[in-house]
Amino acid sequence: MKPLHVNTITPEALFEARRHFLKLGAGALVSSSAISQLLADLPKNSSLTYTPDPNPIKLTLNTEEQATNYVNFYEFSTDKTAPVKLSQKMKTSPWNVGFFGDIKTEQMLEVDDLIAKFGLEERIYRFRCVEGWSMVVPWIGFPLYKLLDYLEPNSKAKYVKFTTRHEPAMFPDQAKGIFASIKHPYVEGLRMDEARHPLTFVAVGMYGKRLLPQNGAPIRLVVPWKYGFKSIKSLDLIECVDKEPLNTWQEQNPKEYGFYANVNPKVDHPRWTQAKERVLGKLSKQDTLMFNGYEKEVASLYAGMDLRKLF
Amino acid sequence: MKSLLVLLALLPLGLAYYQLESAIDPIKMLYSYTGIGAIVLLLLSLVPSSCKRVCGLNWLRYRKTIGLLAFVYALLHVSIFIVLDSEFDFVTIFEKSFKKPFIYIGLIAFIIVLLMALTSTKKLFATYVKYHKAFYIALSLALLHSFWAQKVAGVFEYGIVFVGVLLLGERVWAWRKYT
Repeated sequence: MKPLHVNTITPEALFEARRHFLKLGAGALVSSSAISQLLADLPKNSSLTYTPDPNPIKLTLNTEEQATNYVNFYEFSTDKTAPVKLSQKMKTSPWNVGFFGDIKTEQMLEVDDLIAKFGLEERIYRFRCVEGWSMVVPWIGFPLYKLLDYLEPNSKAKYVKFTTRHEPAMFPDQAKGIFASIKHPYVEGLRMDEARHPLTFVAVGMYGKRLLPQNGAPIRLVVPWKYGFKSIKSLDLIECVDKEPLNTWQEQNPKEYGFYANVNPKVDHPRWTQAKERVLGKLSKQDTLMFNGYEKEVASLYAGMDLRKLF
Repeated sequence: MKSLLVLLALLPLGLAYYQLESAIDPIKMLYSYTGIGAIVLLLLSLVPSSCKRVCGLNWLRYRKTIGLLAFVYALLHVSIFIVLDSEFDFVTIFEKSFKKPFIYIGLIAFIIVLLMALTSTKKLFATYVKYHKAFYIALSLALLHSFWAQKVAGVFEYGIVFVGVLLLGERVWAWRKYT
């Protein structure tokens, strides 16, 4: 063994300094990654600032627990509760929405830019699913007409077409190919006058907070007088078009689901009656209202139309 | 052994009762519990005779118990339709609901199972056993009914049809072998 030479030994002061430095460095490394991890896990400013809905007709809200644990989100699963767990890793920020078709300037905008542009308000709406259940939800967002005013559709634009994001890595059902439960990506549509109606709403939140993934985060449509499947989730594209878009459920089963899908207690689904509904959380049923209770506001849109044929 | 079977088969009902208070869509939940229970028990009632032919185990003494349990679940399922879902509104039930294939197909299946349950006593069974072949109609209709209960059929619906085809296929195969 070679004798240890004095000048190869680190002086004690330096030795201590290095230990201190390493400790500091390791500590800093751990804490900064821990903090950034925590920051990343936190939903980005999940509470929202908005004009509240005074709820003049005193609708009774369903609980947040009910509205966030009972969903139809076939991109994850056909089960009502499975999407809650399956969607938790969904990356909803940043999220760009594309605006194309017969509008002044085709463009992409991030959800936060849309919020900054149009501001936020609360809308307490009845929500009626074609399957026969219903709820009352306080949505937060902005009316679609504000967005359309900004996009300036031209005279060729007769309909608005909406498309859910197609990203099989995020939505497991989209990765199943021919075994998918429905055709992807999900498509919905509205006539231009329906789209411009003041009740038609683009939601980015509910119950005072940003939308949870299972409810169609980060941005979705809400059309309160139509069956829930019209209120398309996780929007990727909004296009102004000249022809009536073929919406997913109509394509899937045209005998059972139409383009309009207006809530109508007098027109039955071929498999069940639509006269009554099950309010979530209740064992008793209640009568379904014409246009889901928005008859006064929207009936004129359909004057002279045979709602049995154009269901 | 039979009482254990009954206890085990009725366990899901206890669970349903326990979950009722916190259920988000309670009527739908009760429909699912009783509907799935009925269809699984209908399929299970086919197992004993298949089992005897395929693996030599004689479980035939349990067949009647399983069949009656299936009837209990189906009866509860129909009761939910009349009491909770239709709220005794017989005008709507007769004028609207029964005109829908989804509902009347389920109803026909139930009537067959009901008649089988009523003729399951030793005395009556001897007379009516030949009509118990109608079970296969009831099962097919019940499978179709469960398919239609969903907006689109999922893994469970395809799964039970697969099991049903397997059990019926075994019967056809056995019948061809012995004739």
